[in-house]
Amino acid sequence: MPVVTVTQLNKYLGSVFRGDRNLQGIMIKGEISNFVCHYKSGHMYFTIKDSESALKAVMFSQAASRLKFVPEDGMSIVAAGNIVVYERDGAYQINVTDIIPEGKGKETAALEQLKRKLAKEGIFDTAHKRPLPDIPKKIGVVTSLSGAAVRDIINVLSRRWPLGEVYAVNAVVQGQSATDSICAGILSAETAGCDVIIVGRGGGSSEDLSAFNTEKVAYAVYNCKVPVISAVGHETDISITDLAADMRAPTPSAAAELATAVSVDILSDRLRIAEKRMKSAVSAAISGKEERFALASSRLAAKSPENLLKLTEERIENMSKRYGLAFTSYLERMESKINEKIRSLDNLSPLKVLSRGYSLVYNGGEFISSSDELENGDIINIRFGKGGAAAEIKDKW
Amino acid sequence: MEEKLSFEENMAELNKIVTELEKGDIPLERAVELYGKGVKLSAVCKKQLSEAKIKITEVDGNIPSEK
Repeated sequence: MPVVTVTQLNKYLGSVFRGDRNLQGIMIKGEISNFVCHYKSGHMYFTIKDSESALKAVMFSQAASRLKFVPEDGMSIVAAGNIVVYERDGAYQINVTDIIPEGKGKETAALEQLKRKLAKEGIFDTAHKRPLPDIPKKIGVVTSLSGAAVRDIINVLSRRWPLGEVYAVNAVVQGQSATDSICAGILSAETAGCDVIIVGRGGGSSEDLSAFNTEKVAYAVYNCKVPVISAVGHETDISITDLAADMRAPTPSAAAELATAVSVDILSDRLRIAEKRMKSAVSAAISGKEERFALASSRLAAKSPENLLKLTEERIENMSKRYGLAFTSYLERMESKINEKIRSLDNLSPLKVLSRGYSLVYNGGEFISSSDELENGDIINIRFGKGGAAAEIKDKW
Repeated sequence: MEEKLSFEENMAELNKIVTELEKGDIPLERAVELYGKGVKLSAVCKKQLSEAKIKITEVDGNIPSEK
């Protein structure tokens, strides 16, 4: 058997394709996706697909300039052209010569239909959306572990939340088995005790995202017991998973940021605040005690023996002052009473009676109050108010 | 001391201490004791934050493998 080079094979196949009438000047029905118009050359590159298969298509600027409309993703079309081999890549594609639009794409229509159905079933209800944990302990990541998405997520998580734990479940994210693989991944992360789960993939064309547009995945997200963040990585198309998820992130990195609302920096701040609060509480407690101590000690001082003694002394001094005053006035009162008595004594004095003309008669040392006590010839003494005399009794009666 | 506990547990304990301190009306000795405990906890938390390294488990299907 002769040995051929790849180039020789591709060239050969190219000629086989060109020679096959079934592949030349044919009409292909499908939906446009991944539409790109090269801005410089004006060539259009896109994929024509149906529910099962896809075909690469290129429309060169000359043909493209004749189109009366601008093709776009999701458009149902019939494309006319030739199937050729792109020799460099060993891939076949259709060189489109004309495009006939066919209304809204069937795939898109089916997706819209599914969205409406799920919306009716309450899968997208805001009321069902759960808040993400403030501080996640274990973050589940369901995606292809060989993709860039998981690296992006882990990078963000190790920067923002090194205290956390990542539970990364490898999942097939495109192709036939993707739907079941993603569902199993979500369940696995939930069972492993994750408190938030990121489900997604990094970018990709819309048919590559088809697993994220299935009812099964939508329900797996909806039924998950912990919050799910979707990171399907397609900003323009919102997938059904995005709608069912508790939170939607535009990229895997953004999902990781959302999952870690509280970063290490915020925690450091919280620590600082806790320290500050603690310090001010303690100093407030101490100054409170100080005030109470000052109050108590002033009250205590008021009851001290020194103070009591001082008070007593004052009281005594006060009392003795009052006592002195009272004694003086008592003495004065007594003096005036005595003077009065002396005056009335004076009035009663026999001398005073004598001065009024009465006289006292003595015989020897005896007062004579009756003539019976006398004999004629007795010598008596007479006392007058002023002076005295002796007399001899001559007669009596 | 509390190094064996997780950061969250230490942080929660620290918050408890702060709350109790802020209630005021606690004996001074207790306040000082709490404050000392709080300062230690805060240091442990800081250490945990600075030394933390994310733990990653990668699984394929149902077979977990530590990495």
